[in-house]
Amino acid sequence: MSEALLLWLALLLYLVGTICGGLSLVNPRESTRRATAISLAVGFLLQGAGIVVRSFEVGTIAVGTLAEQGALFACLLVGVYLLAQLRYRLAVLGAVVGPIGFVGALAALVAHGGAQDVPPFLRSPWLPVHVTLAFLGNAAFALACLVSLVYLWEERQLKSHSVGHFVRLLPPLETLDDVNFKFLGWGFVLLTLSIVSGALWAELSFGRFWSWEPRTIWTTIIWLLYAVLLHGRVTVGWGGRRAAALTIVGFGVLLVAFIGVNVLTPGRHAESFG
Amino acid sequence: MSDGTARVRQLRSGPSDEPQVELWVFGLNHRTAPVELREKLAFPEEDLADVLRRALAAVPVDEAVLLSTCNRVELVAVSARDVDIVEHVTQFFARERNVTASTIAAHCYVHRGKQALQHVFRVASSLDSMMVGEPQILGQMKEQFRLAVEGAAASRILRRCFERSFTVAKRVRSETGVAGKAVSLSSAAVELARRIFDDLGDKTAMLIGAGKMSELAARHFVAQGIASVIVTNRSFDRAVDLARGFGGTPVPFEKYPQYLPLADVVLGSVTTSGYLLGPSQLHDVLRARRRKPMFFIDLGVPRNFDPAINDLDDVYLYNIDDLAHVADDHRAEREKEAVQAEEIVREETDRFWRWISRRDMTPTIVALRGKLDGIRRTELERALVALRKLEPDERRALEAMTQAIVNKILHPPLSVLKQLALQDGAEASEVAELVHRLFALEPAEAGEAADADDEP
Repeated sequence: MSEALLLWLALLLYLVGTICGGLSLVNPRESTRRATAISLAVGFLLQGAGIVVRSFEVGTIAVGTLAEQGALFACLLVGVYLLAQLRYRLAVLGAVVGPIGFVGALAALVAHGGAQDVPPFLRSPWLPVHVTLAFLGNAAFALACLVSLVYLWEERQLKSHSVGHFVRLLPPLETLDDVNFKFLGWGFVLLTLSIVSGALWAELSFGRFWSWEPRTIWTTIIWLLYAVLLHGRVTVGWGGRRAAALTIVGFGVLLVAFIGVNVLTPGRHAESFG
Repeated sequence: MSDGTARVRQLRSGPSDEPQVELWVFGLNHRTAPVELREKLAFPEEDLADVLRRALAAVPVDEAVLLSTCNRVELVAVSARDVDIVEHVTQFFARERNVTASTIAAHCYVHRGKQALQHVFRVASSLDSMMVGEPQILGQMKEQFRLAVEGAAASRILRRCFERSFTVAKRVRSETGVAGKAVSLSSAAVELARRIFDDLGDKTAMLIGAGKMSELAARHFVAQGIASVIVTNRSFDRAVDLARGFGGTPVPFEKYPQYLPLADVVLGSVTTSGYLLGPSQLHDVLRARRRKPMFFIDLGVPRNFDPAINDLDDVYLYNIDDLAHVADDHRAEREKEAVQAEEIVREETDRFWRWISRRDMTPTIVALRGKLDGIRRTELERALVALRKLEPDERRALEAMTQAIVNKILHPPLSVLKQLALQDGAEASEVAELVHRLFALEPAEAGEAADADDEP
């Protein structure tokens, strides 16, 4: 199957998932909830297959353009969400995750281009490992941020004693807080692994673990930020509103750094991510 | 005859043309007064008897029942017809509860006569409740009515009204879905807890105070699977009793703060002056809990928890009004049933009011007429036996004459009785009793029979 066909189908299923997710907000039923999860899951598999096909075309993992990076990120985000959804009742997030997957697949489809020049130093089996770990971590942080936004909104509703139809659909605050913690933890582990893999790769290819360039500096800052946040959660018992707010701030920094570094600054990472 | 009609006319045009007494409801409830005012006005249950005694002295009423719950303070009273008690009651409440009379005047409602009766029926049937259909109000009313009866504050009229209202409440309960659909404040509380906590199965509830409402709420939490309950109360015995009821742990009132860090849900229903818990006490508690969320439910009037604690992170405070708002969603359904219930109440009010209005008169009239007619017939029979050779028209004339005598004798008293029958109140039954005694009427024919057959 061609990549374009896979992406079109993925697009369609993400659309169905989004609609079902929206429906389950209006009329929460087990059937719509299941339909959301299944269509998102099939969409995820199709988009994943599309990325694999494209990667074979390119010769290494397809992250050559911003659109491809977005597509990979969206795809992994849907995947992580689906995994988390097996464990926690996060059906309402389906209505948000669906559109993210949709936009990702759309970006890949629109930017769908011919062969790219991949710099020789990137043609290494380390690249997919390093990139996948980093993107999985980012997806987990993004979901933590999403969950935190929901938390803050629900918390405010409960504090102001306005418990409407919509609030009743959301998971309890405690669940959201717990899920936030789990996402942060996984995100942190994945981020750490991606740093380690990057360092090892650098050691093997360039003979040194670390080079100070904008991407690595920002990554260090973000790593420290999440480390502090997780430390606060585990030892001091930061939770609830404070943790949610910090999670959102953390992801904000991550997002700005990611886009900023890619667009503006020189360095090995920028070279590769045109 | 002309004499009699003149007297009747005089009666009709005189002040006694109107019913002699008036039924009143003077009150404030959740619709007219905010919780801040209701909590100031609410009378502690143990004071009710004394307050009622003072009310009878201060307000020109013959009978009175005082209702005081979380959501209402009402004086149901019977006064003489020409007295206006509103100002007196306002002043009385203002004095008793240290609130300005103008505040009370701004938030109170007054019902008279049939409207007052209907209001009492509605309250008993839980149609006037904050949570329509909630079951507590009937019990509270019965209890406070009992106090009034014991204090001799409720006698003839109010007794009838209240007893009837309990019957109406029963009918509403059994014939409509109001009670069945009633989503009580308790279930609203449990629902809110489920918004905060993911699993009640490892949570602990603490009851501070053993109020009816909080007991009910605690039962709900237990039924929904909360892991444990801690009960504290000023009277430790009561705490022990209550705790036994749902397998909880009683703790002495002085020591409850040290158990607070264990509590995820805290239900307050203590009668306090001033707040039991404020932000400063909670800082340490929250730290000890490692900032796990706490859900405070304030069922106390006056309120037990400082509203400022709701501003603390991880603390959620709902008072009784807030809970009612949360339960609003289900209100539409209940209100459909309530329409049917209102219909029953209206019907019952009409019937009872009609009955009250012609209290005991019809049987008295029937008995009196029967008695005189019986005498006439017996005497006529006897005379006819003596005057054997009478022509038919002579017989008819004799019959008409005796009939006329009886009618003329009966006319003035029957007019008065009928007139009295249109009025409600004490005088009618007193006169009826007197007539029964004067004419040696069978009591069974009148009072009892009326109660058995005539009462709606």
